[in-house]
Amino acid sequence: MKTRSKILFASTIGSAMTLGVAAAIANDAADTPSITPKTMADALHMVMDSDRAVYTRRIVNRLAAKEKVITASEHFEDEKALVLPAQMFRFGAEMVTERAAENPDVNFSYSLQSLWPINSQNAPKTDAEKEGLQFVVDNKGENYYTTEELGGQNYFTAIYADTAVSPVCASCHNDHVDSPRTDFKIGDVMGGVVIRIPIES
Amino acid sequence: MLSCLCTLTPLSVHAGEEQYIELSGELAEGRTIWIANCEGCHGYGIAGAPIPMRARDWAPRVDKPAEELYQHALQGFFGPDDTYMPARGGNDSLSDSDVIQAVNYMVALAKYYLEETENPK
Repeated sequence: MKTRSKILFASTIGSAMTLGVAAAIANDAADTPSITPKTMADALHMVMDSDRAVYTRRIVNRLAAKEKVITASEHFEDEKALVLPAQMFRFGAEMVTERAAENPDVNFSYSLQSLWPINSQNAPKTDAEKEGLQFVVDNKGENYYTTEELGGQNYFTAIYADTAVSPVCASCHNDHVDSPRTDFKIGDVMGGVVIRIPIES
Repeated sequence: MLSCLCTLTPLSVHAGEEQYIELSGELAEGRTIWIANCEGCHGYGIAGAPIPMRARDWAPRVDKPAEELYQHALQGFFGPDDTYMPARGGNDSLSDSDVIQAVNYMVALAKYYLEETENPK
């Protein structure tokens, strides 16, 4: 019995030490830079793009286009409708901006911009944004990566094409009174997702 | 904050129109229609569109009856994951014959890449 207690005690100490070492290693790993800004931007975009695709397919396509039990509309509050996929994306970007401002460790931003924005606030402002948005239009299937300095801070900036995935995307922009371009068709690059990550050098 | 360790090279994932092989007869016309109306999504997998140059996308499709593929393209189609193929690729001005020629070209293109995958040169 005494021997069994000793074994149990030793085993418990051993387990605790193992857990302690594992926790220390995990803390070290968590604080050690091991991915590039490009990998981080690509990973963020993959999450954003997948979430948006799921919303478009499982919610909008299924309920609005297929089952026809509700509509999706830019004026979703007045019309008691689903928000458009692009609006959901923008709402997420706005929330991230608010939350990231309170947490400098995850201080990144993203936005949906266009060379032909319905809302002029979504037009590119920096040279990198203008060049990158034109690049993804001219080089379909490719992303744009660069660095820029804004307000004394260096950033890694990545731009990913935003494409019209259904006829409604194109017709909504083409028919909108504030749209500067009216010849979009499905499959066209209509704008881009701009992800900006602060960097040290 | 991250250190910038990356190489600033755009990621190339698309080789251009040379991958859309040229075929003779009606398939040549189908290629022109396909590039103008279908390539924008099917060339890149936009909205879940199956890419004919990717064998795994088309292996389950090429053996379907041609009539089924024509109906999906002509009338629109919701995929099993609620992906959405719009009727006539979203271009109402395409005739039935145009759509069928484009489908025939896409199937021929898919078979070409399937054959290349199964029997690499």
